[in-house]
Amino acid sequence: MSRNTVQPNGWVAIRLPSEVTRVLQVVPNTTISLGKYGSFPSNLLIERPFHLTYEIQDKLEGESFPRLRVVPGKELNADKLADVSATESADADEVIEPANGEELTLVDESGKVVARSTREVIDESARQTLTMAEIDQLKKEGASAGKELIAKLMLSHTAIDQKTAYSLAKYKLLKEKKYMRRFTVLPLDVAMLGHWMLFERDASKVMEMRQEMIGLLGCWADVHFGGLPIDGEQGPHGGRWLAVDDTGGLLVAAMAERMGILHAEPLEAEETAKQVAEEEENPKTQPANDEAEAEAAESLAVSASPKAQRSRPKRPRKDDLDDHYALTNSITLIHANSQPNLSLLRHFDYDYSDPNPPYPYHPLFTNLLPISWLQLLDPESDPTYSEPVPEVESDVLASWKTNRRANYHRKRRRWARTRQIVDATRTGGFSGLAVASTMDPISVLRHALPLLAGGAPVAIYSPTIEPLTQLADCFSIGRRGAWVSNPPAEAEGKTAVELENWPGTTEFPINPALLIGAQVQTSRARRWQVLPGRTHPFMTERGGASGYVFTGWRAIPAEGNITARGKFNRKKPRTG
Amino acid sequence: MTKPSTFLVPGEKTSAGTLAIISLSRDNFLPLTLEKSTGAVDGYLEGATLNTRFGSYPHSTLLDVPWGSQVRASNVDTGSRGKKRRRDATDEDTPIASQDDDEDSTAANAPVKKAVTAPSGFIYVLRPTPELWTTSLPHRTQVVYTPDYSYILHRIRARPGTRIIEAGAGSGSFTHASVRAVYNGYPRDAADTKGKVFSFEFNESRYHKMQAEIGEHGLDGLVQLTHRDVYNDGFLVDGKSPKATAVFLDVPAPWEAVHHLSRRKMKKGGEEAEEDSNWVSPLDPKQSVHICTFSPCIEQVDRTVTELRTLGWVDVDMVEISNQKINISRERVGVNFPSEKGYNSSPADVAEAVTKLKSLAERNKDTQRVQGLQSGTEGLDSEMDVDSTPSRDNRPSNGLNGTADDAERPFMQGRLVHRPESDLKTHTSYLVFAVLPCEWSEEDEAAAMAKWPCGNEKKTIGNLDKQARKEEKRKMLEGKAKSKKQKKGNDTQPSQVVVSAMATPTDTA
Ligand SMILES: C[S@@+](CC[C@H](N)C(=O)[O-])C[C@H]1O[C@@H](n2cnc3c(N)ncnc32)[C@H](O)[C@@H]1O
Repeated sequence: MSRNTVQPNGWVAIRLPSEVTRVLQVVPNTTISLGKYGSFPSNLLIERPFHLTYEIQDKLEGESFPRLRVVPGKELNADKLADVSATESADADEVIEPANGEELTLVDESGKVVARSTREVIDESARQTLTMAEIDQLKKEGASAGKELIAKLMLSHTAIDQKTAYSLAKYKLLKEKKYMRRFTVLPLDVAMLGHWMLFERDASKVMEMRQEMIGLLGCWADVHFGGLPIDGEQGPHGGRWLAVDDTGGLLVAAMAERMGILHAEPLEAEETAKQVAEEEENPKTQPANDEAEAEAAESLAVSASPKAQRSRPKRPRKDDLDDHYALTNSITLIHANSQPNLSLLRHFDYDYSDPNPPYPYHPLFTNLLPISWLQLLDPESDPTYSEPVPEVESDVLASWKTNRRANYHRKRRRWARTRQIVDATRTGGFSGLAVASTMDPISVLRHALPLLAGGAPVAIYSPTIEPLTQLADCFSIGRRGAWVSNPPAEAEGKTAVELENWPGTTEFPINPALLIGAQVQTSRARRWQVLPGRTHPFMTERGGASGYVFTGWRAIPAEGNITARGKFNRKKPRTG
Repeated sequence: MTKPSTFLVPGEKTSAGTLAIISLSRDNFLPLTLEKSTGAVDGYLEGATLNTRFGSYPHSTLLDVPWGSQVRASNVDTGSRGKKRRRDATDEDTPIASQDDDEDSTAANAPVKKAVTAPSGFIYVLRPTPELWTTSLPHRTQVVYTPDYSYILHRIRARPGTRIIEAGAGSGSFTHASVRAVYNGYPRDAADTKGKVFSFEFNESRYHKMQAEIGEHGLDGLVQLTHRDVYNDGFLVDGKSPKATAVFLDVPAPWEAVHHLSRRKMKKGGEEAEEDSNWVSPLDPKQSVHICTFSPCIEQVDRTVTELRTLGWVDVDMVEISNQKINISRERVGVNFPSEKGYNSSPADVAEAVTKLKSLAERNKDTQRVQGLQSGTEGLDSEMDVDSTPSRDNRPSNGLNGTADDAERPFMQGRLVHRPESDLKTHTSYLVFAVLPCEWSEEDEAAAMAKWPCGNEKKTIGNLDKQARKEEKRKMLEGKAKSKKQKKGNDTQPSQVVVSAMATPTDTA
C-alpha cells in the first residue's frame, strides 16, 4: 500500500493551476518554490494527506513564511457547478473583481466561450480601444471596475463583428481559475508517473505507453500478487512474472504495483521523525565501506547509545553465498545491456544500482531479478555467472585492507546472486510475460515462450502496430496448420523439448504450436469536459501513438500429428 | 482453509473440482468445472464428459494435465446416452451437465471406462483468468469488458490490499477482475484485514447465482456479496464499514447512491444530514477514496458529476474508452494466384495489368482473324500458334506484394495487412472518475504543525522564477569565489534547481 500522507523525503507530484505537474521530493526544512505561483515551507506538507488543494496565503505579520489554506472540495467545485443558464449572474450591479490571479471567461447564451481573459489581456485590449482617460478611470476604479466594463473590454478584444448587436445581457462573465496560488499534492504512483512522463517529460523514454496500455498489459499478462513463500518449498514457486522493459522501469513499476511490491512498507511514524531528526544532527553519515565494519560500528553504537539501535532495524546477517532472492511473487527482468535501465524506479525509492542498500530493504531488492539475454541464453559466456570468486581464508581476509575486503564480499555476493537468478530463470515455469520493448517481439517471444508455464498469458506492447502484425502472422491459422500437417524438414525427428526451443526459420520464425489465441488490440481513452450545459469531448488531445497490445496464451501442444474437427474441418481439410 | 481459487493460485496442473476455461476454437471459450468421476455419468461410461462439435472430451482426459495443454478428442461410448440425446435435441455446443442420473444408476456403479483417443479433434484447457471469464461467463446482465475494467482498476488504484466497493454485481465480470487486483492473500480469520471486494446486488436471482459462483470459484473470504438496494440502504456490511478506498458503481443511477459514500452523514444533493452518532462511513477515514461510475448515457453522467461535485469530490474526470481488435491477414492479389477463396485474381500492379490487357488484346485480334477467316474474308496471315495466355515466367516480380512462387508456402504469400475487426464496439459507457480526500481538521493541522515546525528552511527546491534564480546564481558565484569547498547541490531532477543555502525566492504575487 502506498502511504496516505506525504512522507519526509518522499516523492510527490504537485499539480499547478496551469495543469502542469511538478514531481519532487519533499525534503524537510526546505522551501518549495512553485515559481510564479509562490513558495512555502516543505514542512507544511509533511504528514498531511494527499489530494488536498492548498492556497498559498499571505505571510502573517511576524511570521517568516506563508501558511497554506486547505481549499475544501465544495469551494473548488463552485465554479463548475455554476449553471450558465441561470440569470442571476447577469445582474448589472454586481461587481466582479478581477483580483490578482483570477481569470475571467465571457460566454454567450449557449455557453460558448467568447473571450477569456486575465487582467493583463484586459489591460492590453483596453490600451487599444480606450482613451487614456478611460484607462485612467479604469485604473482608479481598480478592483471595483464593473463587470459590464470588463465584459465590454473583453468583447472589444475579440474579433466579433457588430459587437453592438450583442447585448451584454446575452453574455455571462464567469470567474474561472481563481486559483492562481493554488496547488494540489498528489501521490506519485504508477498512474501519476506515467502521466507525467507522457505529457510533460519525454514520452519517448516510456515508449509513449499510455494508461490504457498499462492497464491492458497488466490484465492480459494476469499480473497479480503471487503469494507468500510456501514453507518447505526450496525452488521458485507461486506467481513469478517475466518482463522485458525498455520504458526505463515504468513497466516493471506497473507490474510491481499490481503485485504489491512497489512501495516499501512504511516505517512507524515515530521512527520516521526520529530518523529525520538524526539525519539533521548528523547530515552525512559516512556510508559503511564494509559490512563487517558497519556491524562493528553498530555494536559500538549499541553501548554508546541504546537509542540509535532502536531507531535503525538491524540488517539480517547473511553469508555472501546465501540465496538472496524471493522464491515467489517476483519479477524476472530480461535486459539487453549489461545493466537494466530502471531509472524511473528511483521515484519509488528504489535505487537499482545500489547493491548494498540500507536496511529495511525495498521489496524490489529481493523480488526483482534482473538477467541479461546473454546470461539467459549462454550463461557460460558471462563471466559474472561462470567465474566464481574463490573463497579466501578468514585470517587472510582479516589481514586485507577494508576496501579490498569489501570488494571481495561484493564480488562473491554478485556471483551468488547471478547464479541464483540464472538458474531459477532457466528452470522456466513463469506465470506470465509482459513486454514493452524496442526489440523485435518475434525474437523476444522465441526465447521467452519456452520459459512460460502452460496456460501462462503473454502481453506485448508496441507503440506501432507493424512489429505486432508480423508477430501475429507467425501464428496465423495457415502457418499453424502447416506446422502440423506439413512440418518443416528441420522439425523432423525432434523431441517435444527440442521443438519448444525451436531456433526459428524463415517459414516458422517461432514454433507456432506454442501459443494460442494470438490477438492484437488498441485502446484509447477520449476525455470529455463535463460542465452544466457544456458537456462535450475535449477539442484537442495529445497525439502520438495510441499503442497496441498483442496477447495470447502459452500452449502445450499434443505430441504427434493432430487434426481438427468441427466446421472448418470441412472447408480446409489440412489446417488446424 | 479451502482450496485457493484457480484464478489467483492456479498451480501447474488442472485438478478436480476447479474451474478451467476450455478453448474450443478461436474466440470460443467455455467455462468448465472439472470433475473426477468414479463411474459412468449421464450415460457416458468414461464418466463426466464434455461434448462439443469439436469432439467429445471425458473430464478424465482433461484432469491433472498442465494448464494450456492441447487435449485430443475421445471416442466416447454413449451407451444409452445416444438415443436420449437425440430426443432432447439440445444445442450441440452446450456442455452436458453431468449430474448422476437415476436412470443410469446401474451404469454408475461400473468402473470408469478408459477414454480412447479419437482420430481427430482437439481443444485446449486454459487456466481461468478474469479476461477469459469475461468472454465466457453466463451473461445475466451487460458486463464490463477488459478494455474498460483494466483502465478503471488502474485509475481507481485497486491494488493488493485495497478494499473496494462494487455495485451492482450483475454477472460478476468486474468482480472477478477486481478481486485479482486487490488480492494479497486469504484472510486467516475474521480479524485479518486483507484486500477485499464488497459487492452489492439487489436483484435476488442474480444475487443467488453470483453467491454460488463465488463459492465455486474459491473466492469466499475475498468477495463479500450483499443483497441490497444501495440507493436506499448504502454500503455498510452487517452495520460495519468496509473501510473502502476504491468504489465502482455500475448501476443505472449512481447519483442516487453516492451520498452514502461520504465522510459524514449526508443527504442526497449535498446537504449535511442531522447529527447521528450511530452513523458510520463506508470509507477508510485515513485515505483518499477513488471512485468510478459507469454509465452509457451522457444525461446520467451530468447528474452523477453534479452530485459528486456537490458532495465535495474533486478531480472529476470523464473519459470514454474506445477499443479495437485488429484483424491481421495476408492479402493475396495477383493474376497468377490460384483462383481459390481468399485470393484475389485481379492484377497486383500496373505492370501486371498491362501484361494482362496486352494478352487480352492479342486474343481479341486472333478471335477477329478467326472470325474473318470463317466468314470468308481473306486473312493473309494464317499463323494460329500465338499463345494467348500470359506466361508465368513473364510475370514481373513484385517484392512489395510478396510473390506467388510455387516454392513459397501459401501462408507467406501476399502482403501482410491489418484492419479493425468487422464488428466494432464503438461505445460501451462513459467513465466518470473522482477523488474524495480525507478530512483534515484544524486539530490535525495543529498537531502536524507542532511536529513539523516551519521557519528553519535552509534550501529551496522546485522551480524558481527569474529573479530568484538570478539571486541564486549571484550567491553561488560569490560562494565559489570565497571557497572552493562548496559542494554541488544534490541534483534530484534535471529540470529542477536545487540550490544551496539562504535563498529567498521572490514572491511574485
Ligand atoms: C450492468 S449490471 C452490472 C454488471 C457488472 N458490473 C459486471 O461486470 O458483470 C447492473 C447491476 O446492478 C444492479 N442494480 C441496479 N440498481 C441497484 C441498486 N440500487 N442496488 C444494488 N444493485 C443494483 C442490477 O440488478 C444489475 O445486476
